[in-house]
Amino acid sequence: MMKEKLLEISDLRTYFFTEAGVVKALDGISLEVDKGQTVGLVGESGSGKSVTAQSVLRIVPRPGRVVDGSIKFEGEELLSKPENEMRKLRGRKMAIVFQDPTTSLNPVYTVGKQLTDILMLHRELTKADASKRALSLLERVGIQEPEKRLNAYPHELSGGMKQRVAIARALSCEPTLLFADEPTTNLDVTIQAQVLELLGQLQKELGMTMVMITHDMGIIADMTRRVTVLYAGKVMEVADTPAIFNSPRHPYTEALLKAVPSVRQTRALEVIPGNIPNLIELPAGCVFHPRCKYAKDICTKDEPPLEKVGDGHYTACHLWRELNLEGRTG
Amino acid sequence: MIPVFLGVAILTYGVGSAAGSPLDLIRVGLRNPNPAVLEALTHYYHLDQPAWLRFLYWLWDLMHGNLGVSISGRPVASQIGAWALSTLELQVLALILSIVIGIPVGVYSSKHQYSKMDYAITTTAIFGYSMPTFWLGIMLIIILSFNLGLLPGSGAVSVSYYWWGNPVLDQIAHLILPTLVLTYVNLATIVRLVRANMLEVMRQDYILAARASGLSERTVTYRYALRNAVSPVVTIIGLGFGAALGGAPALETTFSWPGLGYAFTQAALTLDIPLVQGITIVITLMVLIANLITDLTYALLDPRVTIG
Amino acid sequence: MSEEHLKRGASQWSVGWRRFRRNKSALIGSAIVVFFIAVAILGPYIAPYPARSYLPLYEGEAGTPPSFKHPFGVEDSGIDVFSETIHGTRNDLYVGLAASLITTLIGVALGALAGYVKGAVSDILLGVTQVFFVIPVLLLILLFARVFSFLVFKGLGLTLIVLILSFFGWSSIAFIVRGETLRVKEMEFIQAARSLGAGSFRLLFRHIVPNVLSSVIVVATLNIAGFILTEVVVSFLGFGDANTSTWGLLLNEGFSLVRTDWWVSLFPGLAVVLCVLGFNLMGDGLSDALNPKLRE
Repeated sequence: MMKEKLLEISDLRTYFFTEAGVVKALDGISLEVDKGQTVGLVGESGSGKSVTAQSVLRIVPRPGRVVDGSIKFEGEELLSKPENEMRKLRGRKMAIVFQDPTTSLNPVYTVGKQLTDILMLHRELTKADASKRALSLLERVGIQEPEKRLNAYPHELSGGMKQRVAIARALSCEPTLLFADEPTTNLDVTIQAQVLELLGQLQKELGMTMVMITHDMGIIADMTRRVTVLYAGKVMEVADTPAIFNSPRHPYTEALLKAVPSVRQTRALEVIPGNIPNLIELPAGCVFHPRCKYAKDICTKDEPPLEKVGDGHYTACHLWRELNLEGRTG
Repeated sequence: MIPVFLGVAILTYGVGSAAGSPLDLIRVGLRNPNPAVLEALTHYYHLDQPAWLRFLYWLWDLMHGNLGVSISGRPVASQIGAWALSTLELQVLALILSIVIGIPVGVYSSKHQYSKMDYAITTTAIFGYSMPTFWLGIMLIIILSFNLGLLPGSGAVSVSYYWWGNPVLDQIAHLILPTLVLTYVNLATIVRLVRANMLEVMRQDYILAARASGLSERTVTYRYALRNAVSPVVTIIGLGFGAALGGAPALETTFSWPGLGYAFTQAALTLDIPLVQGITIVITLMVLIANLITDLTYALLDPRVTIG
Repeated sequence: MSEEHLKRGASQWSVGWRRFRRNKSALIGSAIVVFFIAVAILGPYIAPYPARSYLPLYEGEAGTPPSFKHPFGVEDSGIDVFSETIHGTRNDLYVGLAASLITTLIGVALGALAGYVKGAVSDILLGVTQVFFVIPVLLLILLFARVFSFLVFKGLGLTLIVLILSFFGWSSIAFIVRGETLRVKEMEFIQAARSLGAGSFRLLFRHIVPNVLSSVIVVATLNIAGFILTEVVVSFLGFGDANTSTWGLLLNEGFSLVRTDWWVSLFPGLAVVLCVLGFNLMGDGLSDALNPKLRE
């Protein structure tokens, strides 16, 4: 049975036109998400993960914009939709949970107002009905004493509670597609697990499709079925999660795996040397070659295409056949 | 607030006294002062008491609305009312106009950053607060009043005939030029501030989140963004208003506008100390009230702030 | 950041300098400032007539509008406006720069102290700042200028204004410095330095002040503009020194001649606007360069 593709991104390019030059945040990425799946998008800061979510919803902040490519949602091309139709989709069919709940919630409005605003917009509920629904939403995301929180301001809540509110906001109209952009990165470690568990639960309950954006391979292992590795705005590797962990086919993926500590750690953590490149002047050839310990001459000249290496497994590396990369079993 | 007020009172009184005792000035004025008169005056002004006691007497009078008697002989309090009204008329009108025009212009400018219109607006704004307010007034008087005869260039009301027909229109006619000048200069600050704050607020995550929720651009800009951007503007407006109340002298002198600034200037030049002190205290009070209103408004707009 | 940035030096100052250089309006402002400083320095040598000189009267050219010989016209009393404007440049710049310098020194010293020490000193400073916020500063400046004007005959006219402006002007810088000091004091690198044995004095001057400096420079530059404007108002109203050429004095004389000699009001006013504009543009440019928050 052919699984329905909810989201199909092809050759997406999103550039930021700044005074210092053109920042190529996304430079030709392709991504597919099946309905009902949880898919991971992983990479360091600056790899373009957040911009991907923003591009799909077409809310890329100025001076950035999508310059090329195609984004198909439920079979329809999003990039050619007029703005008023996009607005109907945002918050209703697709939503984002942002990384830092302290900055993603408006400080001057109560929690209740921020929720009811969206409910009244998309669902055309009366204020009273919207408030009721907001209350049940808060309950659903595990907030105690929701009546009190409804009239509270964001700064009166703890970090974990704020993120729950942000999740409630994203889920208020039961979207089909949810982007979780580093939802736990800014939270205490103890709260992180709770929030992740909450997300997993809600996804099952609502039958949502979720794209988990993170730099943490641990979260990828726990929550995703399939993962795309992003670096400097380009796709490095795509595969089912077990395959990525057992047999990575890209030096960058291998490096990412090596950087995650585990309890059975016996060797030293390996840090990836260097920094992400200047997105205005990308290196020639393979974007990763300056930091790659396996880099050869061809890597500095030709950009490696995405090649199939196995069932549903693709990599963008010239040398994948020769390299014997280490996976993780822990 | 009380200590602040006391501080101001001390400062004002101190400087005033440094100018010399009222007795010297009166002595200078009267040719052959009758010693009995001098004696009575000395007693009246408590000049035979030590300085700190005099200060307390002055403060006491102040509390009871007695602002002393000016050199001209008329009690200060009687004239201050009319002056205060004239100044307020001008300042409040200009303030309202500059807010009503300034906020939308600032928002527009921030949404169209780097456009030609934005550059035009910011340039005009920078000129606005680089020029002495009164000089702009003088230029406009020369062009519009003397050369073209379109508008009156002095006073708040006319003496001989009514501009534009009747007394009400006459008052309006007189208001136009000074209000125009004051509004322009106020606008300069407000537009820049709103623009800068909006630029910063629109970059915040919660604005991105609001867009991601499907809210219209209008809602996002005016309800979500502006609410956040406007709070610091309120503070600055409040401070500015306070400064404006005291900064009126040059503008009012230019237009011969019978307000507190004009009166103060004349009083200071002639060293009419009671008048000087009286006006300073009244203006300080007005500023304190303005600050109070500002604080309250700020607390209303930003729930993170508690009053007290 | 790429390697080359590390090579060129990534200190706050070199990055800021590069940003400043790329900012068009900042450069225009700086050019204007340099121009005025040049005029101030060369003043007596390039002005056709000496300060406050009535020579044109004897040449029969009193009260004439702008001409080739007198680009800015002549007052009824015979004073050549062009020369006076040039002479005024030196005096007005002196007032602006001197007052800014003094207020900055006092403000930084007191503000840093108040922010660092906390307690009575800090509270007193706050209180004083509040008083200065509330009082109609301009009015008191006028009053002080009038009352102390007996000092003027000694030729101290301008310096008196500078002192008065400084007396009333240091509180805004002190307030900002105090705030910044409080903020920086809590930062981790201060605790690190302290844990390495740095004493209070060293902490204050070697670590805290340099970090506060960027805000101070911006405010000090913008203050120059403000002080010049204030001087102009003070002299315009007749509270300045009638024997020293200042732009404000010119505007004062121009105002009494406003019906007939428009040039006496126009040109000195333009000079003020241009000069203040220059400092404002420069100050804004510095602000953008050193605190890059609002770009893009």
